[in-house]
Formats: sequence, C-alpha cells, structure tokens
Amino acid sequence: MKNRFFLVIATVAVVALISSCAKVPQAALDAATAALDSAKTVQADVYFPAEFAALNDSLTVMLQNIETQKSKSAKDFKVIKDNADAIAVKAAELSGNVEVKKAEVKAEAETMMADAKTLLDEAKALVLKAPKGKEGKAVVEEIKNEITVIETSLTDAQTLFDGGTNYMEVVDKVKASSESLNGIIAELKEAMAKAGIKI
Amino acid sequence: MKRGSFLGISLYLIAASIIIFLSVLLFKALIPEPPQVEVERARAAIARARDHHSEVYSPVLFREAQNSYDSAMATWRSENDRFILLRNYEQVISFAALAEKKANEATSNTISRSNSLRSSLSSELSRLQQEMTSFEKIFLAMPLPQDLKKKHARGKLLLREAEIDLRKENYVNGSVKITEASEYISGSYNLARKTLEEYFKNYPDWQEWATATINESRRAGSYAILIEKIPALCHLYQGGKKKYTFEAEFGSNWLGDKKSRGDMATPEGRYTITKKLSGSSTRYHKALMINYPNKTDIQEFNERIRNGQLPADARIGDMIEIHGDGGKGANWTQGCIALRNADMDILYRYVARGTPVTIIGSTLTLEEFFASRVH
Repeated sequence: MKNRFFLVIATVAVVALISSCAKVPQAALDAATAALDSAKTVQADVYFPAEFAALNDSLTVMLQNIETQKSKSAKDFKVIKDNADAIAVKAAELSGNVEVKKAEVKAEAETMMADAKTLLDEAKALVLKAPKGKEGKAVVEEIKNEITVIETSLTDAQTLFDGGTNYMEVVDKVKASSESLNGIIAELKEAMAKAGIKI
Repeated sequence: MKRGSFLGISLYLIAASIIIFLSVLLFKALIPEPPQVEVERARAAIARARDHHSEVYSPVLFREAQNSYDSAMATWRSENDRFILLRNYEQVISFAALAEKKANEATSNTISRSNSLRSSLSSELSRLQQEMTSFEKIFLAMPLPQDLKKKHARGKLLLREAEIDLRKENYVNGSVKITEASEYISGSYNLARKTLEEYFKNYPDWQEWATATINESRRAGSYAILIEKIPALCHLYQGGKKKYTFEAEFGSNWLGDKKSRGDMATPEGRYTITKKLSGSSTRYHKALMINYPNKTDIQEFNERIRNGQLPADARIGDMIEIHGDGGKGANWTQGCIALRNADMDILYRYVARGTPVTIIGSTLTLEEFFASRVH
C-alpha cells in the first residue's frame, strides 16, 4: 500500500517537472512587436536602416529563444521578457529619434532647395550677360536648355518635399541640380572673364 | 518495531528517489534536442545577407531564404505544441539548413552583383560622359530640333544623379538612372548623327562643286569664293590657292539646302556674284548679291511642288547675299551668309561681278568631320 503511495507521488513529481508551467510573456512580446511596427510606420527603416534592422534581428532572436525554451522540459522566460521589454523601449526611442532626424533632413532639404533656387537665379542672370563669340549663342542656348531641365527637376523635388514621404530623396535630387548649376555658373563666369565682361 | 518501521520507510524513500531520478534521466534522454543551433545559423546568415543589401541585389534568393526560415520557425512552433516526447524537429532543421544555404547564396550573389553593377555603372557613366561631350562638340551649333537638345540636357542631369548614386554606393538606383540617362543622351546623339548622315549624302556633289570651283580659279588665275556651312567658313581662293578664310554665319535653319522662301535656310550650289552693294544700297555694311535661284534651283523647286514636298502656294526665295554685320556668334540671317565687317571689307576688295561663289556643306567627309570635332 505504502509502496503504491510513493510511486504515485513520484509520478506526480515527474509530471509536474516536465510540464513546468512557465508561460510565454505574450504581453511583453506583443508590446515589442507593436513598438517595432510603429517605428516602421514613422520610417525608421528609411532614416535609421541599420538600427531598425538590428532591432528587428533582436526580435527574431527572441522568437527563436521562446521556441528554444518551449522545447525544453524546464522553461524559463524571464530573460525573454526582459529582452522584449528592452526591444520595446529601444523601438520607442528609435521612433522618437526618427522624428528628430526627419526634422533635420527636412530642414536640410529646405535649405538646399533655397540655395538651389538662388543658384538658379544666378545662372539665369549670368546667361543674359554671357559672351556670344563663335558658337557662343549655341552654347548659351544649350545652357538655357539645361537650366530649364534643372528648373523642372527642382519643381519635382518641391513636389516630393511637399509630399513629405522621403526627404532624403529630395536631398539627393536637389544635390544633383545644385552641382549642375554650380558647373553652369563656373562655365559662364570663366567665359565672361575671358571675354572681359564684368560680373 | 519502531526501528523496523523507520528502516522500511527509508528504504521506500530511497527506492522512490531512485525511481524518480531514473525516470527523469529516461525522460530527459527521450526529449528531442531543440534545433536551436541550426535555426540560429540560418538567422545569422539571413542577417549577413541583409547587411549586404541582398533584399535589393538578390531579391529572389533572399526571399527564398526568408521563407525557408519562416517555415522553420512555424514548424518549430507547431512541433512545440505537441506532447514533448512526440516532437520531431527534423523538418525544422531541414528548413533552417535550406534558409542558411539560400541566405549564403544571396550574400555571395549580392557581392558579385553589386561589384558588377558598380563596374558597369562606372563604365556606362564614362561612356555617356564621352558621348555627351561629343554631342556638345559636334551638334551644339547645329539647327537640330529644340526637343532633341532638351532631351540631351535632361540626360545630362540624370547622369549627374546617377553619379551621386554611385558615390553613395546605391548601385541599383544608379543603374535605373543611368539607363534613363542613356535613353536621353544616346537617343539624342543617334538622332542627331542620323540627321547629319542624311545631310552628308550630298557630299559627292559638294566635293565635285568645290573641286571644279578651285580648278577654275587655278586655270583662270582668278578669285573664287568657297563657303562651307558645317565648319562655318568662307574661303577666298586666288589662282586655286586659299588666300583668306573668314568665319561665317548663315540662316537659322542652315542644315540642308534652301527649298523655299522664308525657310531660313542658306542655299547650296554653284553661283556667281551678280551685284556689289555698299553704302546706302545695303543695310549690312557691304554686300555681294549672288544669282540665287539659278536654273537648277528653279528646277528643283518646281519638282518639289510637283511631288508635294512643298505646298502649291510656296514661293522660291531670292536676294541671297554675302554681307557684313556678322560676328554675332549665331546663325541669324534669313538665308544669307554674314561675315564680320572687317572680313567683308577684305572680301569685297578682291571680288567682282561674275566671281564664282560655291556653297557646300563641308569639304571634309562625315568621318573626317567627326574626328576633327572630337579630337
């Protein structure tokens, strides 16, 4: 009788051991996932691609660790919960940083567009004074064509800027226009200096 | 009795402990090993592929790797829902191995593709820059359609955008821009070249007229004027030898023969000076009127009316002169040939009524002309 009693106790102990009732920290996991989703919504993947990828990777590792724990007889999700909490905090921080970075890039784009417009006006003014030597008018016509194209490109950049989807793209587009305008201005100034025309 | 009972309980406890210990050992031995290492290797390989931007350069392989990894995780989750002793992780391991393999392939493919894109982007950039420079050297001064020149300018800006992408190692975007730039730059270059090739079909006539004009000047020891539209030059020959060369300007639509009044083209053919004008008899400093239209011009004009190339009410042009007021740096006349006043003074001094005036496209062949412009 006593023998049977101990066997029952032993079995219950083993079953209790193998079905250790630690639970997946679902709330923390959901919070981490939601924080990462929010970061993506505010374009963390665009403005901080490396940081965003690293956080995503941490989430992947955490999901792996959950399955690893679930595969074990004795589960422990404490570290995982801590990790999930840390990811949620970092993702929220990243979202905040995106807003700051976005504002910086937006300001940079705005400044660059204003500078490009100044360059455009300068190029337009210089082209009127450009010398007309042999083939001079043809060169001036070519420069006028380039200025028209650049003006269109700057208008496109303004539309992109107003859309507010990706200020980095605006910066790149305006950079190309500004480089072209600087080239045109340098070319015109050199030609005018050679022809003895005062700027 | 008490001692015996205590001994009995102790024995039971020892036996129970041994049973529990062995059960635990047996249980542990029967639990399948989780595929932690394999899945982690797959994840690390995918992360490496992502760091190399495989999503952009090897999207298919990367997606396959990602899908296999997701399958590994889904299978792992589903196995973990089963009773612990009945779990089987073989399929998880197999998916993870496939994910790792695909991710490694994506990484190596990405490295080679981005290297090849970078190299093709830089060589295409330098090819298009050369083509752009050639276009500007050869065609800039030609009366080509404005739309064609605007296309060239658009290509030039796109080329600069592609250059920025190359600097930022954004090869995919750069390749897209370079393809578009190529359509504009090569497209406008090829169209302009085709226009010029068409024009140069008249080269045999030009060569014949120029040779005849120079030979006549040599035979008679007299003066002759040879005008070349492409290099925009007016030569004065004496006794078959070139005595002077002046820069010349033409009608704004000078590429091609004059076909009708008001087409802004400068005629091509063999003419003679019919009148010398100076003082108040000309608006352009000094002028040499030529016998345009001659018989051939009239025949060609009538032929164009007959075959519908010109409208029935078209009129033939006239009053073509070599005159002064040139040096504007543009082709601005309505079909005349304009020289600087100082050059006009010289020319005017040497020539007389009857002096031959031959107007051609070029004495150089198309290839010679290209070579002269590019080098």
